[in-house]
Amino acid sequence: MIGILDTFLPIICFVLFSILTVPIGKAIRRGENRKTAFTLGWFLSVFVAAGISVASLAIKYYEYPSPRPFLSITLASESFAIFSTTFLIDAISIYLAVIFTVIGAVAFLYSIFYIDPSDRLSERYYSVMLLIIGCIIGAAFSGDLLTLFIFWEASAAGSSFLMLYPRTSKSVHATLKYLVMIIIASAFIVYGLSIVYSITGTLNFWAVKQALIALDDKHLLVVAFIFIAAGYAIEAAVVPFHMWLPDAYTAAPASSSAFLSALIDQGSYYVLLRVLIYILTPPTVLNWTVMLAIFSALTMIVGNLLALTQNNVKRLIANVCIADVGYNLAAITSVTPLGIMGNLYFFLIGGITTALSFMAVGIFNRVKLNTLDDFTGIGRKMPFTSLALLLGAFSFAGIPPLAGFIAKYLVFTAAIEANLSWLAVVGVLTSVIQTAYLLRLITCMYGKTPMGGTRIEEPKRLLVPIFILVTAIIVLGIYPTIVLDLIEPVIQQLPLTP
Amino acid sequence: MLTLLLPTLAVPIVYLIGKRSAKAAAILVALIALADITLLLTMVPVVLDQATGHVYIESYYWIPVLGSSFTLFVDGVSLSMAIMTLILMLSAALFSIDYMQQKEGLAEYYALLTLLFVGLVGVFVTSNLMLFYFCWELMLVPLYFIIGGWGYKEPYRAAFKFFIFTHAGAVFVLLGIGAVFMVTGSLDMFQAQTALLTAQQDLVKWILLSLTGGFAVKMAVVPVHMWLPDAHSEAPAPISALLSGVVIGAGAYAILRVSLGTVFPALASTEFGTQFLHGLAALGVISAFFGSLIALVENDIKRIIAYSSIAHMGYVLFGFSLFPFQEPMAGTVLHLVNHAASKGLFFLSAGTIMKQLEIRDIREMGGLAGRMPCTATASTTSALSIAGVPPFACFISEFLIFVGAFQAINSNSFYILPTALMLIATVLSLAYALRYIHYIFLGPVRLEGASDAPLFMKCAMILLVALVIVLGIWPSFFLDLITTVEFA
Repeated sequence: MIGILDTFLPIICFVLFSILTVPIGKAIRRGENRKTAFTLGWFLSVFVAAGISVASLAIKYYEYPSPRPFLSITLASESFAIFSTTFLIDAISIYLAVIFTVIGAVAFLYSIFYIDPSDRLSERYYSVMLLIIGCIIGAAFSGDLLTLFIFWEASAAGSSFLMLYPRTSKSVHATLKYLVMIIIASAFIVYGLSIVYSITGTLNFWAVKQALIALDDKHLLVVAFIFIAAGYAIEAAVVPFHMWLPDAYTAAPASSSAFLSALIDQGSYYVLLRVLIYILTPPTVLNWTVMLAIFSALTMIVGNLLALTQNNVKRLIANVCIADVGYNLAAITSVTPLGIMGNLYFFLIGGITTALSFMAVGIFNRVKLNTLDDFTGIGRKMPFTSLALLLGAFSFAGIPPLAGFIAKYLVFTAAIEANLSWLAVVGVLTSVIQTAYLLRLITCMYGKTPMGGTRIEEPKRLLVPIFILVTAIIVLGIYPTIVLDLIEPVIQQLPLTP
Repeated sequence: MLTLLLPTLAVPIVYLIGKRSAKAAAILVALIALADITLLLTMVPVVLDQATGHVYIESYYWIPVLGSSFTLFVDGVSLSMAIMTLILMLSAALFSIDYMQQKEGLAEYYALLTLLFVGLVGVFVTSNLMLFYFCWELMLVPLYFIIGGWGYKEPYRAAFKFFIFTHAGAVFVLLGIGAVFMVTGSLDMFQAQTALLTAQQDLVKWILLSLTGGFAVKMAVVPVHMWLPDAHSEAPAPISALLSGVVIGAGAYAILRVSLGTVFPALASTEFGTQFLHGLAALGVISAFFGSLIALVENDIKRIIAYSSIAHMGYVLFGFSLFPFQEPMAGTVLHLVNHAASKGLFFLSAGTIMKQLEIRDIREMGGLAGRMPCTATASTTSALSIAGVPPFACFISEFLIFVGAFQAINSNSFYILPTALMLIATVLSLAYALRYIHYIFLGPVRLEGASDAPLFMKCAMILLVALVIVLGIWPSFFLDLITTVEFA
């Protein structure tokens, strides 16, 4: 039986370590030369502790499937359901906790080496990172809309610090843009939530759903849905609301971009998935598929076309992130087991691939290579980093045997299955555009002879996390069953009516 | 299993050996090809012994959720194609030893060649659509880098065009495969075929069109042929030989195996099915004329051959349009095999001329027959075979296609016109073949100091010359293999 403590332990673990990071880091600062060693040790202890807690939760969950997945903490008497907090552990939250911990660990490892340790704020950077991982796992575990909102907003707010970290005018500008966007978004969401509460009298996922199924007049629900969906769409960077993403990810240091694209982006798909599929399950509760399909198509088209015009490589990858949002939406839209499986797989693979690309681009940016022209002939000068970026690009483009292929295959098949063949066609055509600009990048890297023939030294420590991810996309591409087996229980729990 | 595993494992070894000595790497590639040929030849009696339609299957657990397993099989058609691929691979590897001698980065070149090898053979020996697609795309990446890295003029431009075109085709194939899986719940070609028979026909029509369209891009049928002349003429000669011989042949094989073999039976008796076949015939005729006519006026030595490939894919498509009949289908597959041998030889000999003379405009050449007797023999053999002159290989297969076409006319009067046009197209192909030989090898000597090919290039060409003549005189080896398969 899973107790409340088991659920809390991963979250507490991250939050506690996060709080401790700053004072301990300050204390150790005097021993300047042992700094990196210390940070590494700290990193190990955090992730070993968190890993154990997540693993024990997962094992407990699969060994003793709980009859009541909801765990409630009541803060006030029964009549005020809004003052109680509910947590929900089901297969999808376990899956997410596992992948957030693992990818978070790799991204953290990269930032240890990427962020200058002598910077006054570097401890806070790590601390915020841990806090975000904790919050996002909290969001995955939450069982009512308010708890979800709180954890999710906390991690979104935390991520603004990661963007701000370089403290250049560009990053301040981008962070402001992001903050304004998420504040608007959270206002929308709060408004939508209050409508939902007024309709149903509860915010618990299960109770809300039951109340909504019984609901006769759905006009008010549509209004609430529009607000909530718009709010979460802003945070997920769905197309008409995507403007913050390229700025933010370009201005942020590469370690932040990698971390954010792997965790916050993927987290936002989870929120959409939870709200749209689990609560507003179409067609019983609300039929929103066509509307979302249009947005998905728009996101795929605009994201890829924007990327086609980019000359700055980091911005190009950021635009690939937008396109990825479109593919994920397409998977969610299909509302079929295959689509959700595709979404969850894309989740992981998209996160890994974007993180990997940002990390590789980060190494290039360090030696002042930013635009496509700078990348000319870099394949010979920096072979390992280039190889990583090459594989990342091929995975984005969906070339087998890399993992991106299986992900895209699942998404497109799901779209056909849901009778949205036009969406699948848009998907594959935009995927060809994607291949075109990625191939342009690859051609720049490998096709042209470099100006100066000297080989540039690559920081080996930064290559370690990159190649962990490269191995992951190759292995998951050739043998995706490892992850698909984990997703299988999620699919069985889906509240879909066949 | 070993057929695929061997080259896969060999990739890093080839790379490492290639770092030390390119020649050793090339010989290793050739040896692997030879080993694979032996492996496949041991399967020939197994396939021949079975009366009809025997399928030799090995299956391994892979991605059960997606209905894909690692399934390998051979039957007469795939075995013939695979053996031909390996023979071409063998000669390409031998040819590369001398041809690529002065180039840089040969370790990468041979490693990529081995990777291409895996993809090509894999396409022919799998019956699982997912694995098929894996191998299908696995051809693309090494070819992109080889054409880009070691090609002529603006190689990356040609490679880019090649990649985008064929990838755009491939995503439609992917859509088709996804839809097949969705409709039938299986990705195995044979199981899917039975399941599709009962499926809703509207969707099956789209699946068929999407798959065929995708494969047609790789096959370079006329409206989507634009990548071919660039890619084929800019690639290094051994790669052109592979491209023209088996890569576009793989497209044709895929149309036969997946479009016609798996999806088409569900629609065979409908009006749409007939229209589809007529459409194939029309495209075939257009491709044949377009390719032949341009080959007739083109002056670039390799572009002539490239356009002739488009023309020959026209013949193949025309052969496919006669689908239910056994003779033309066997003839078409035989034509794929024979065309691969002849076209491979054609490109290798053209590559030799380019390498020795360092020019590529045929008007500047002339009288080379005396200077380069071996190359001249190879070129003439292949050109005449391409033109369909007996006793060379392509004659037999073209003859079989036409025999089938006359059979079809008996039952369907639509085929009168296309068959007549195809007969005219063969005359055109004779014309450009003769023009090619005339300009390059006959007439007054224009260039001094041209010498014949080095040893390994000669070996590769002699191997294929022998093959083209043997296949012309004694086609029964492949023909027997191919006819074990019931097409209808």
